[in-house]
Formats: sequence, C-alpha cells, structure tokens
Amino acid sequence: MRLSSLGYNIKQGIKNIARNKMFSIASIATMTACIFLFGVFFSIIMNVNAVRTDLEERVGVTVFFEEGTTDARMQEIGNEIKNLDHVTEVTFTSADEAWKIYQKDYFKNNPELAEGFKDNPIANSASYTVLVDKIENQDAVVHQIQTIQNVRQVNQSSGAAKTLRDFNRIFTYISIGVIIILLIVATILISNTVNVGITVRKDEIAIMKWIGATDHFVRMPFIVEGLLLGLIGSLLPLVILYFSYGWLVRTFLSRFNGLADMGQVLLNVGQLFRYLAPVGIILGVGIGLIGAASTVRKHLEV
Amino acid sequence: MIDLDRVSKTYEKGLPAVDEISLHVDKGEFVFLVGDSGSGKSTLIRLLLKEIEPTHGMITVNGHVLNTMKHKAVPAYRRDIGVVFQDFRLLGEMNVFENVALAMHAVGASGRVIRKRVPQCLKEVGLAEKYRNLPRQLSGGEQQRVAIARAIVNRPKILLADEPTGNLDPHNSYEIMKLLETINNNGTTVLVVTHDKELVDHFQKRVITMRRGTIARDVEEGGYIEA
Repeated sequence: MRLSSLGYNIKQGIKNIARNKMFSIASIATMTACIFLFGVFFSIIMNVNAVRTDLEERVGVTVFFEEGTTDARMQEIGNEIKNLDHVTEVTFTSADEAWKIYQKDYFKNNPELAEGFKDNPIANSASYTVLVDKIENQDAVVHQIQTIQNVRQVNQSSGAAKTLRDFNRIFTYISIGVIIILLIVATILISNTVNVGITVRKDEIAIMKWIGATDHFVRMPFIVEGLLLGLIGSLLPLVILYFSYGWLVRTFLSRFNGLADMGQVLLNVGQLFRYLAPVGIILGVGIGLIGAASTVRKHLEV
Repeated sequence: MIDLDRVSKTYEKGLPAVDEISLHVDKGEFVFLVGDSGSGKSTLIRLLLKEIEPTHGMITVNGHVLNTMKHKAVPAYRRDIGVVFQDFRLLGEMNVFENVALAMHAVGASGRVIRKRVPQCLKEVGLAEKYRNLPRQLSGGEQQRVAIARAIVNRPKILLADEPTGNLDPHNSYEIMKLLETINNNGTTVLVVTHDKELVDHFQKRVITMRRGTIARDVEEGGYIEA
C-alpha cells in the first residue's frame, strides 16, 4: 500500500471513530476497564512472584553431621555439596557459632542463663546451609545430600515459598478466567462499533467498489478504527496504573504493618511497566485488530 | 471495446432480464441505450461493471473477458470504467473536492497528483468555484456534474451513465448531455441509459433499443422510437 493511501486510510479510521462517538466511547471504556483490571492482576501476580522468588532465595537446606565427624571430613562433605547440580551457595556454621546464635536468639533477655552451660550443649550442631537455584530443585538436592557419607540429618523449610507458589498459581488461574471474559466482551464491543461504521459507510463502500478500490483499501479504515480503539483503550489504563501504582503499594504496606519489610522486595513502577506496558498495548491492539478484522470479514462484502 | 456474445442473465425464479444479447461498441463511440423499465438496461450496466455474472454468453471489455476474470482483477478492470447514476450517489458529509478526490484515493493516487488533477477535473465540468461546497448546497445539475467529475477523474476508457438526467429539469438534462458529449469527444467511450426522448432525438447518436431483455433495434445516428 502506498504511503498516501495509508495516510488516507488512517484519516478515515479516525473519522469513523468520530462518526460513531457513542459506540467508540463504549468500546474504549470497556477496553480501558479490561486492561486496567488486567494491569491490576498482572501487578499482583508479578509482585507475589517477586516475594516468592525472594523467599526461595533465602530458604536454605541445613546439613548436620554424624557425631565424631572430623573437620577434614566436614570440609570434604562441603566440597561434595558444592559440586552438586543446582547448588548456588554453601555456608559452614561451626558448633561454636551455632551456640552463639542460639544464645542470641533464646537468652537475649536473660544472658545469665547461658552462663550455666560450661561446655557447648549443642557441640554436635556444626552444619552447612545450602542454597539452591530454584525451590523445585530443593528436594532432589536434599535427596543427593542424604546419600553422602557422615551426613546425619538434612533439614529443609520450603513451606512458606510453596504456599506462596500455590497461591500464585490459583490467583493466576482466576485472573486468566476473569481477563478472558472481559477481553471477549471488549472484542464484541469493538466488533459492534466497527459494524456500525460499516453500516454508516455502506454508500461510500459501494462507490469505492465501483471506482476500482481494492478489497484491502476498502477494509483498511475499519481495521485502523479497531486498532486505534484498542490502542487508546490500552494506553488510558496504563497511564492511570503508572501514576497510581506507587500510591497503591504505599497504601497496601501501611495498612499491613507486618509487611513493611516487603517494600524492598516489591517491584517498583519501572520494573513493573517493563513488562506490563508492552503486554497491555499488544493485548489492546490485538483485541482491536481481531474485533475489527472478524467483523470486516463477516459483514463487509467487497 | 465492448463485446457481448449471446449474453443472458436470469435472476432467481424469473424470466431472463437479459436474453441472448449480442452487441459490439467501438472505442470512442457514444451510445444511447433506451427502452421501457424492466427491459434489461440496468442489468446490462451491472453486467458491464462485473457486479453480477451472466448466466450464459461471453462479455469482453477493453480486452478483458469478464466471465473468467478473477475477483482480485476486478478493481483494476473497474478503474478503466467511470460510472454515473440517476441519484448522483455523492457522499453528503464530504465536500465537492473530497467527493471527487475519493475516486483518486481509491486507486492509490498521491496527494500531490490529487491536488493537481481534481481542480482540473472540476474545471472541465464547470464547478471549479464550488469545490468547497457540500452536495446539499448544490443544485441537481451541479450534483450530477460532481458525480461525472468523480467518474472521469481517473481518465477511464469507458463512461457508463445510468439515467444521468432522470432527476433533472430539461435545461440541466441538456447541459449534462452536452458535458457527456464533450467527454466523448475527448476519446472516452460513453454508454448512456436514458428514457429522455427529446435528448436522444436531439443528439442523434447511436441508439440501441431494448425490449424484454433483447435488442429490438440498433441504429446509427437515430432517434428515440418506442420499442
């Protein structure tokens, strides 16, 4: 298509939107609502994911040794663990360090109680803390560590991360369901708007056909109309979300004091929009195109 | 230029609207197509525009065999044919310039060419001054001139006019026919469907008279004779 024809068709597409004001506004409003809700769900999913990833990164496996295991053997075990697949970090905690941590945690208000112990009561508690790349790989790593000689016990505590993962999965399914319904509604509305445009321009279409306009040329303004409705309907909610996201996060964290630490883990607006902006625009434009193209194919005989 | 070889067109459950017509129109001819309502004149125009397909027979226009022409090739074929209707069929929300320019946009002409050609064309039909007017601000004769300008702006080889003076008073009808004659003198083949006896008699062109889907009479420089 020539540049002049493209320009003409874009102009006609814009004129179509202006001619069917009410339908166009209804389409844009529905699309705005859909993409806004999509953005909200998307933000929640992305943030829950970020929290889960953070938790997973901090959830480790603790490896204890059989009584009488020498320091040299412990070193060897450490090297064996480091060489396992999916292991990202191995940190050694000696029995003395463990006892200090224990005192800090349990006797911080009554340090005199700890003085009653002359020897280290948890002398057999030297351990390795092992971090794995993904929580899904933790079980396999634990299983392999358990087979290493002189390993007495392997503790894993992935419950919180697993719960979050399950929550995120269920929330994702619900979100997908709601979004699909909303997107179908938006597609139907855009299709109706384009259909009205076709009815209003029936004479013009007939004239264009008589004077030798190609099918492509006749259809193009309606495709442009759908595309523009989708684009406007996706840009509006993205702008609203962009400016309200920071406030929403601050309000959420201030309402739930216990979650104040999460502030650093939650995504900032830049990180979120790196994904949300392109996905939202592609979704809006895609729905506009699908709604318009299906209507043009069904109702526009050229 | 236009060849019809034993062409018939029968609509669903009816008598043939066009029945075994054979016809030849040369390049540069001016032809009046006359006949009663329902005699098949408009069906003939629709066949020539490839809006409908013949039931039998072969139609050749500008060297194109319409029967075998693929859908994709129809727009290019129609660009060589201008059409004018009784009810003008102008777009009410577009001004005169835009109505004429539409035909050029449809064939992908550039803005520069459109800005040059449309005023020329409006000058040819005597409406150079009224390019900004909306159709409703023009008389019937002027509206038909805009429709003619739109039909010839892409310099078609053939101009089909279906009752172009049907909604006009005698003076405007005469002016429009004069305009069509001028277009014909410039080399365009013109085929005019009309009921206007006085005009046909006045202009003394080739007259094809249709009756019940057949050609009842075909005379050079003839007058209007009731079929």
